This record gives sequence, structure tokens and C-alpha cells, in this order.
Amino acid sequence: MRIGVPHMGNLYIPLKALLERLELDFVIPPVNNQHTLSLGVRYSPEGMCIPFKLTLGNLIEAAEAGADTLLMPAGSGICRLGYYAKTQEQVLHSLGYNAEIVSVGVSQRKLFGLLEVIKRLSNNAPWSKIISAFRFGLTKLNVLDEIERAVQKVRPVERVKGTANQLFAQAVKATEQADDYKALKRVKTDYLEQLSLVERDENAEPLVVGIIGEFYVLLEPFSNLDVEKELGKLGVEVRRSIFTSEWTKFSLFLNPLGVNEKDRLHKAAMPYLKRDIGGEGWESVGEKVLHAKDYDGLVHLAPFTCMPEIVAQNIMPSTKENIPVLTILCDEQLGKPGMLTRLEAFVDLLKHRRRAKVKV
Amino acid sequence: MVKVGIPRALLYYQYYPMWKTFFEGLGAEVVVSPPTTQATLAAGSSRVVTDTCLPVKVFCGHVLAMVDKCDYIFIPALRSVKSKIYNCSKFLGLPDMTRAVIPECPPILDIDIDINKGKRRLYQYIYELGRHLSRNPLKVRKAALAAWQAHREYKELMINEGLTPPQAIARISDAETPPPNPDQPAIALVGHPYLLYDELINHRLIHRLEQAGYRVLTPEMLTPEQLEIAITRLTGQPYWTYEEEVVGCGGHYLESGVEGVIGVIAFGCGPDSLMMDMVQRQAIKLGTTPFMSLTLEEHTAEAGIATRLEAFLDMIQRRKRIEAKLCV
Repeated sequence: MRIGVPHMGNLYIPLKALLERLELDFVIPPVNNQHTLSLGVRYSPEGMCIPFKLTLGNLIEAAEAGADTLLMPAGSGICRLGYYAKTQEQVLHSLGYNAEIVSVGVSQRKLFGLLEVIKRLSNNAPWSKIISAFRFGLTKLNVLDEIERAVQKVRPVERVKGTANQLFAQAVKATEQADDYKALKRVKTDYLEQLSLVERDENAEPLVVGIIGEFYVLLEPFSNLDVEKELGKLGVEVRRSIFTSEWTKFSLFLNPLGVNEKDRLHKAAMPYLKRDIGGEGWESVGEKVLHAKDYDGLVHLAPFTCMPEIVAQNIMPSTKENIPVLTILCDEQLGKPGMLTRLEAFVDLLKHRRRAKVKV
Repeated sequence: MVKVGIPRALLYYQYYPMWKTFFEGLGAEVVVSPPTTQATLAAGSSRVVTDTCLPVKVFCGHVLAMVDKCDYIFIPALRSVKSKIYNCSKFLGLPDMTRAVIPECPPILDIDIDINKGKRRLYQYIYELGRHLSRNPLKVRKAALAAWQAHREYKELMINEGLTPPQAIARISDAETPPPNPDQPAIALVGHPYLLYDELINHRLIHRLEQAGYRVLTPEMLTPEQLEIAITRLTGQPYWTYEEEVVGCGGHYLESGVEGVIGVIAFGCGPDSLMMDMVQRQAIKLGTTPFMSLTLEEHTAEAGIATRLEAFLDMIQRRKRIEAKLCV
């Protein structure tokens, strides 16, 4: 049995650590690139969203490399995600790959469901081994996200543009190579220190833009054409609403205990949207209401034809809380120059708005 | 008398007799918006963001058409009608979305329908809905029971007599409908009722088929058992609320010996992009029944539909001729 996994941002690093520690045979397909996208687009149903297309591309590349058991997240959420695995398996079979897709239900049984799948895949490895591997994977995830947060702060104010991105790329590599907790800790302190030493423009007061929207396009820079880096270049500090480490912390450990980090958002969205509409639609509306005061603007990312985000997009302009929102729909047709022009115009608008506020 | 408006779009075709009975049982007058016109569609699309799907644009147009004609508008948020099976986000957010894009809309009567929360919760919601019109819980109960009965009769009427929803609705209100002719060759239509029966957005598809001498079969004419068997064969466990209309119905008709199957979807429809793909794959796998998929959107031109339909019917004719030759 050879396991293959799709990509989502840097998630492959903790997954790799987990599978390595369980001594399983696995392949990580190449990180998302134009070829992955073309493969996905060619074999997907026409109207599918970009997360489906990219993950399908990954799965085909993994199957090509000999994987016969493909992990794919699933959930009985309300968006199409729950149907992904079914269709992707059919596509793979029709292409002649004899691979089985194992759906990893993330929404129903939380942590235990996930651990059970791991147990099954690892041929009944002892629980102690599974849990220690799982913990190590999670630690890597946390380190990555912590460094990324620091990078987001440095990007807009660094004197030499691109320093933070360079450091982040190195940090990702170092995290991938670290093979025990000690090394991991060293990587973390080392890179956080380096980031804090990056020469900054002390007078800069960067605009703060929240990045909200659909899970996958938020976390996969390839699908949103590096919107965060581009905003950084324009001197904007980004605050992303979703981090994988936070999400795992809550959805695997705290939500079953009754702690829900999203209650705040739902409450804020209540006057405009009274119910869960699947995906991250409810949260997107909530973010807008909640952050209207403390952010300068919001960039709303959604895959083209994403059902929950379209509803959110329709509702957002009607809120009393006023903050500029730029919606960017991501699909294979999204071109970088077009997106850059829109971002520049948006940032100009935010600058004017801030200046006008200061005058008043 | 209080007037409750029901937009002639989306779920209207599935539930109209039920809703009508319910609200009339509570002493309200039910107003339905007129059939879709180009103006309805244009008005609807001017309010929502461009990426919204065609049926929802049409729906907004219908709501706009009734803004000053009724005291309430009924827009349910239909989340789930079967255990663990959910609906498209646009149905869930429909009341909130309408309120956001049409601020001048009369008060919206919304009801959360979610079987997963248990029957008790559902009954509570029904009482809450009824309270807008009547303070008497017994009256609400009576109206709800009558509504349920009306819904069952409506469904049975369509299954037993092979009627489409508009025909069945006409029959309920005592209009004459010509009985279908069982000797004619049949073509099956697969898709959601709001696409199949809205004559503007599908450019009178059913009428065209009938003119060409075909009998039209639709999802509503199948029994729940037939649909369930077909779904199990194709996908195992159903996932979407209206999966039977597409996957179940498509799966059934592909093996039922009809002349051809036409799948109708709206551009950008999330669930359909996957479900129609399932049906298409099955059609290719079986290789017995011709299958065509029509994608509808605002810019779909009448001439385009007519041409594709003609080509499809020609192909069926040609196939028949070849088969007849082979038999001799």
C-alpha cells in the first residue's frame, strides 16, 4: 500500500512528518504548479470549483507516482466537498488508475474519526505510536503557522522587499527537515529571531487588510496567486482569518468540548444572516461586521461558483458596518496582471480613505 | 384579508399545493407571481452579484414583481428534508439573501426546515410560522395537516397520471389538461423542476419536444422507490437534497428504454456540476441511451437551444433507422 495526499498550502509538511513517523510508504505529489492545474482542469466536470480541480490534479500526480490509497478530506458540510471523493474516484478509475480514495471525515467524528483512519492505514500500529506521530505533526504545523504570522507582520514594513519571503521559504525547508522536537524548537526560535532583526521602516503605518473567505483558496497560495505576498509588496499588513493550526486546534480538540471559536462571528452576522449556509459563508459575513472598525479593508477570496460565498457576497453590501471589500474569485482563468491592477486600485482607495479619516 | 405572496420560482413547483393549503387554512389569501418574463429576469439579475446562478436571479425577479402586491412573502430556508442530506447553500440563505438584496421587500415569512433537528423542532417552526397569521395553535395544526395531505395527493397525482407539476397544479384547480399519449415515443428530461418548467429560461423545451411528437417524462413521474434504487446503483449514499431529481431520475431513465435523455442544468450550479457529471458518466458507461446536457444561463439563445434539440432528435431518428435496417 502506498499513500498519496493532495496539497493545501504547507500542510504536506506535517502530513509527511506524521506518515514518516508511522513508517508508512507514501508519496507527496509535486507542490501545486501549472501542470497540476491543467491536469485538474482537463479531467474535472466543467463547473467545478478550483479546490476540486487542484486536488484532483494532485491525486492524479500521486497515482502516477504509484500511490494506490489516496487520502481526501470529506465532510457532510453543505458545500460540494462531501461529493469530491466520489467524483474524483470515478475520474481516476476512468483514467485507468486503480487507486482507492479514503475520505477523511473531518466534520463528524472529529479527532477520533481521524485517528481511526490513521490506525487503519497504519496496519494497526500501537496507539502510542500513532499519538506520538500525530503530536509531532501538529507541532510542525504550529511552528509553521507561528513563523508565518511573524512574516505577515514583517512583509509590509521591511526595507528590502522580499527579505521576509526569503526567510519564510528557508524556514519552511528547515521545518520540513527537522526530525525531532529539539530541532524544531531551534528552527522556530532561530527564524523568529531573524525575522525580528529584519531592517524595517520605523515610520511606516501599514494599512491593515483582513483576508477572509473560503478555506482552501485562503490557505493555498497557488490558487489565489499569492495575494498575501502581493499585498505585502504594496505595503499592506494582512490578517488572515484562517490558519490550519488554529483550525485543527478548535475543530479536533476544542469544538467537541463545546468551545466554539466561531460563535463570536456567528453572533455578529446574526442580523444579516441567521443560519449556517455551509462552507465559510456565515463566517465571511461575520468577519465583515466584526472587523469593520479595526481593519482598513477586506479581501474576500472565493472559488468561482462557490455556493456559500456567493450568498455571503450578496449579503455583505447590505450590512450597516461599512468597510471596503474586494471580492476576488479564483479559478484557472484568474490572471496575475488583472488581479494586481485590482489590488493596486483597492489599496489606493484604502489609502485615500485613511487620509480622509485623519483629516476629519 | 392578509395576502401571502409566493414567488413562482425555485421550490414553487415542488411544494405549491402544500403551501397554498397551509396559508388558506389560516385564512390568508395566496398570491402567486406571474410567469417569468424577460423583465422578471432582468430585474432579478440587476440586484444580485453576477456570479449568482440563473434560478436565484429569476427568484429575485419574482419577489420584485410582488413587492407591493402582498403583505408577506413566504420564503422558506430549506436545509434538509431527509436525514443527513443537505441542500445547496443558496436555498439555506434564501430568506436572508432576499432581505439583503431587496430591502423594499414586504416582511418575509421564513421557516427553517431541517429534519436533522428532530420532528419536535420542525413542529415548533411550523407553529412559529403559523403564528404570523393565527394565534390559535389548533388552527395551525389543522392547516398543517391539510397541507401535508394536499402535498401527498399532489405527488401521487403526478406519479399515477404522469403529469408534470404545472399540469398537476392546473388539474388541482380544475382546469382541463390533455392526457398524455402513451403510444408516442418518450424523451426524458432530467433536472430541477425550476429549470424544466420555467418556460422562459428553458425556451419552452417541453413544448418543443411535444411539437416534435415526443412524450415528455420528468422526474416527478417516478416513485420514490424507483429513484432510490437508481441512486443506490449510481452513487451509493445520496448527499444532496434534490439528488433524486438528477442522479436518481437520470439513472432510472437511462435504463428504462426511452428514446433519449436530456439533462438540464443552470450554469454555475454547484450540486448539478457534480450530479449531472455522474449521469453523463453513467450514460457513457451504458452506451445504450442517447444523452445530451443543456446548460442554461441568461445568455442562452433560443436559436441555440432549438438547433441543439433538432440535432439531438435527428440523431435519435437516424439511430432508429439504422437499427430497423439491422433487424431486417
